[in-house]
Amino acid sequence: MSDDEHMYDESMMEDEETALEIAALQSEDLLPQPKKVFINHKAALRALVDELSQKSLKWIQRCDVTSTEPIVVDKTENDLDRELKFYQQGLEAVIQAQAEVKKAGVPFSRPDDYFAEMVKSDAHMARIRQKLLDQQKGIQNSEEAKKQRELRKYGKKIEQEKLREREDQKKASLDKIATIKKRLRSGDLGEVDDFEIDVDSDDGGSGGRAKGVRGKKGKDGKMMPNKKRQVKNEKFGFGGKKR
Amino acid sequence: MATLYKTAKSEYQDVDDVLEEREKRSDIKQRILMVASRGVTFRQRHLMNDLEVLLPHSKKESKVEAKQDIDLLNELAEIQNCNNVFYFEARKHQDLYLWIARAPSGPSVKFHVQNIHTMDELKMTGNCLRGSRPVLSFDSNFDSEPHLQLLKEIFTQTFGVPKGARKSKPFFDHVFTFSIVDGRIWFRNFQVVEKDAQTGGDMAKNAKPTLVEIGPRFVLNTIRIFEGSFGGPTLYENPRYISPNVVRAAVLAQKATKYASRVASTQDREARARANPLPTDPLKDVFE
Repeated sequence: MSDDEHMYDESMMEDEETALEIAALQSEDLLPQPKKVFINHKAALRALVDELSQKSLKWIQRCDVTSTEPIVVDKTENDLDRELKFYQQGLEAVIQAQAEVKKAGVPFSRPDDYFAEMVKSDAHMARIRQKLLDQQKGIQNSEEAKKQRELRKYGKKIEQEKLREREDQKKASLDKIATIKKRLRSGDLGEVDDFEIDVDSDDGGSGGRAKGVRGKKGKDGKMMPNKKRQVKNEKFGFGGKKR
Repeated sequence: MATLYKTAKSEYQDVDDVLEEREKRSDIKQRILMVASRGVTFRQRHLMNDLEVLLPHSKKESKVEAKQDIDLLNELAEIQNCNNVFYFEARKHQDLYLWIARAPSGPSVKFHVQNIHTMDELKMTGNCLRGSRPVLSFDSNFDSEPHLQLLKEIFTQTFGVPKGARKSKPFFDHVFTFSIVDGRIWFRNFQVVEKDAQTGGDMAKNAKPTLVEIGPRFVLNTIRIFEGSFGGPTLYENPRYISPNVVRAAVLAQKATKYASRVASTQDREARARANPLPTDPLKDVFE
């Protein structure tokens, strides 16, 4: 019930609005709004410029330089571009001013021994210098930290590579020894000793130990692995214990 | 007697001729009166102080009441023997308007000052002699329109330090740049460094000097140019100027319409749902 009433009201309003629009279009009382005109008395401005301009003064009294190129910045928000253009305008003006000042016979640069009050106090300049130094130190610290991180990662990589290399070498030498033993057992006496390995000095490998560590020697003269290793070999070696 | 008079007059004439050849003293002499209204913020006050330090031919005055004392400014200038006035008017403790006026009868300009950065900011690392004369650098856009030419002339006569000014120093240390970007006037103050950047010693013969920013920095948005001092008929009105009050009101209006537009859109949605009911699903009763 209430929905229907709501709809009825809305449609009524729409009818009223369209009626008003039609009435407005048809009325002749509506004048077009005057366009806002902004004052710009160019003649008066030019006359004022003439009146104010100091024609009698030499350049050195005014020291104004106008740039040769107008400044055009596509986006005012582009700070870098805008400030760069300002800098270039200033630089060009300074160079031109130097020439003109020289012509007028007035000194341009301040000599090194001329000490006078400056616009910013020495204490203020010291704070600025301190801030710059702090910034530089901050940058250096972060760079060092980065380098340390890199070195650590690099060092870790190198360590892993070395370990792998050592393992590979060990494996390679064990394989060589195994092949030589096989050949000896199969009874080739006439074979050239390609590897030039002295068989007698074979100590059977280190039994899985690191280079400097010694262990017990068993009956063959081979290195015996320690008790813990032996138990594990029996339990898990060659496919584990037979059930 | 007549001959005496004639010779006297002719002597005077000679002196007059000599005076005309020399530069007019009135043209050289420029003095600025710097006044602020009540209600300036600290940043605006620091800007005024910075300008006072940079322009040795200026004289600072105590604060004036904003609305009543504008008429007094011309008189104040006459009392202090200044022919230019910089009036820093603060409104609502937020917006800063700068009037640059030529005291007795000359034109005056009203600007809206934005993006104020003072010399105290630690990122501005340059320094210059207190009272040294600046080199004024203008963008060539200033020559394009007559109102800009007038502004250029006014800036030259106010921001430029006259040669024999009492507190001025002899060497050229710094440069003021005025540039026109986006219809506004951007002001920068750079120190001219003629030493080698790396070593700190003397530069090579033909090397370019470097510029280091001293500050302050601000942006001037021209509002109106008047023919008289602090009043009179308007000579120029900036069509691109939007008052900060209007900007703030527009922002608030946009916020206000948010709720109204949300209500209207929900009503639209309900009406549309009622107008286009979903067709009945023939398979509705298949799974019960």
